[in-house]
Amino acid sequence: MKKQIEPHLKKYWDALKEVLDPEFPISVVDLGLIYDIQENRGTIDVTMTYTAVSCACTEWMEADIEKRLLLEPEVKKVNIHVVWDPPWTVEMMTREGIEKMKYWGVSVR
Amino acid sequence: MDQASLLKEKIRQGFILEKVEDMNDEYLEFLKQTLIIVGDTELLSAPPLLSVYDQAPTLNNKITALAVIQDEIGHAHIAYRLLKDLGVDTDELLYNRKPHEWKNPYAFDFELSNWIEFGVFNALFDRAGYTLLGDVFQHTSYGPWKRALVKVDKEELFHLRNGESIMRWAMAKPDLRDDVQCAVDWMFLMALEFFGVADNLKSRNQQLEYKLKGKTNDELRQVWLSTAVPFCEEVGVKIPAHYDESTGKYVLEVPFPCKFDVENKRWLFDQPDTWENVVKRFKKRGPQNKQFVERIQRGALELEALRREAS
Repeated sequence: MKKQIEPHLKKYWDALKEVLDPEFPISVVDLGLIYDIQENRGTIDVTMTYTAVSCACTEWMEADIEKRLLLEPEVKKVNIHVVWDPPWTVEMMTREGIEKMKYWGVSVR
Repeated sequence: MDQASLLKEKIRQGFILEKVEDMNDEYLEFLKQTLIIVGDTELLSAPPLLSVYDQAPTLNNKITALAVIQDEIGHAHIAYRLLKDLGVDTDELLYNRKPHEWKNPYAFDFELSNWIEFGVFNALFDRAGYTLLGDVFQHTSYGPWKRALVKVDKEELFHLRNGESIMRWAMAKPDLRDDVQCAVDWMFLMALEFFGVADNLKSRNQQLEYKLKGKTNDELRQVWLSTAVPFCEEVGVKIPAHYDESTGKYVLEVPFPCKFDVENKRWLFDQPDTWENVVKRFKKRGPQNKQFVERIQRGALELEALRREAS
């Protein structure tokens, strides 16, 4: 999914490229789980979803996302909002994510 | 040069086998034996894990536990599917084999006692599985297996994280620390037994010559120890092993192999044993072997009986 990212928020998107799905080592950004990031005076609001409501890794991923964003010196607090609309589909993945899956022989259709 | 030596030489030079026609009988036989061990190991990990998954302290933990079990069954399916492609009757293998004929590790023939053991199972036994299959992925000469293992290896890492995360959580709770220690006390050496008899007891190793694996049993034990020992030390669990700087290897501080008190799930460190006796113990199987295999076979056999009744 193509997103328009505001320049001052790009660093947070880049930071989350370092947070990997615990089961498949693809970043939460390349998996298309991150819908939106906003920053307001040191508080980051992340809007995200999961590939399934029964995702087995929700707590780990939220902890990993929070931990990584808190490494940015100006970030004091991270709020994570999990939404199910729009629902995740493979269309949400980035080209890089899709290519990685293909390389590993995993279908992304 | 005979046919076997020719194939081994080709493999040594990097030949990847893709189909039965590429193999000789010996290679095919070793490959089937290995895949049966792998498939049985993955599938028979489900019953012990199921014995305590409902003790998960949170819903999220329970979902993770079920995802782990689902993965293991998926991994078993991959191994059996490869066997089917090699001409093995997998229905016969799964539903008509006697419990003692299954090739899963002895460690999986035990019911778990509590949720903590679920975590230690993931942290130690899945680590052994990851070590063994990671080596196969890196070195195997059988192409279809190498490709299938990409997904398996990645999922095993998730199981490891689950195990480590449960152990860390429990070690932070004073009332649960003893449970972690108890679990590690019996599971640590069990995990080391996964890698099989000591190298010095093997005159030659056909699996290595055919590149069905890349490292010897003792080398794989060292790989496992190289991550298991630092992790256990970091979380504060006592283990009978340490890194020896003078040899650059991990060494055990207890006799290995040694006798095991099955009833109390306890190692008898004052009674060293031989690998010959350990193999006898493996073949005799553990306490829940029959119950676990019957659980796997029950649905298929009941359905078969219903079909017979209806016809």
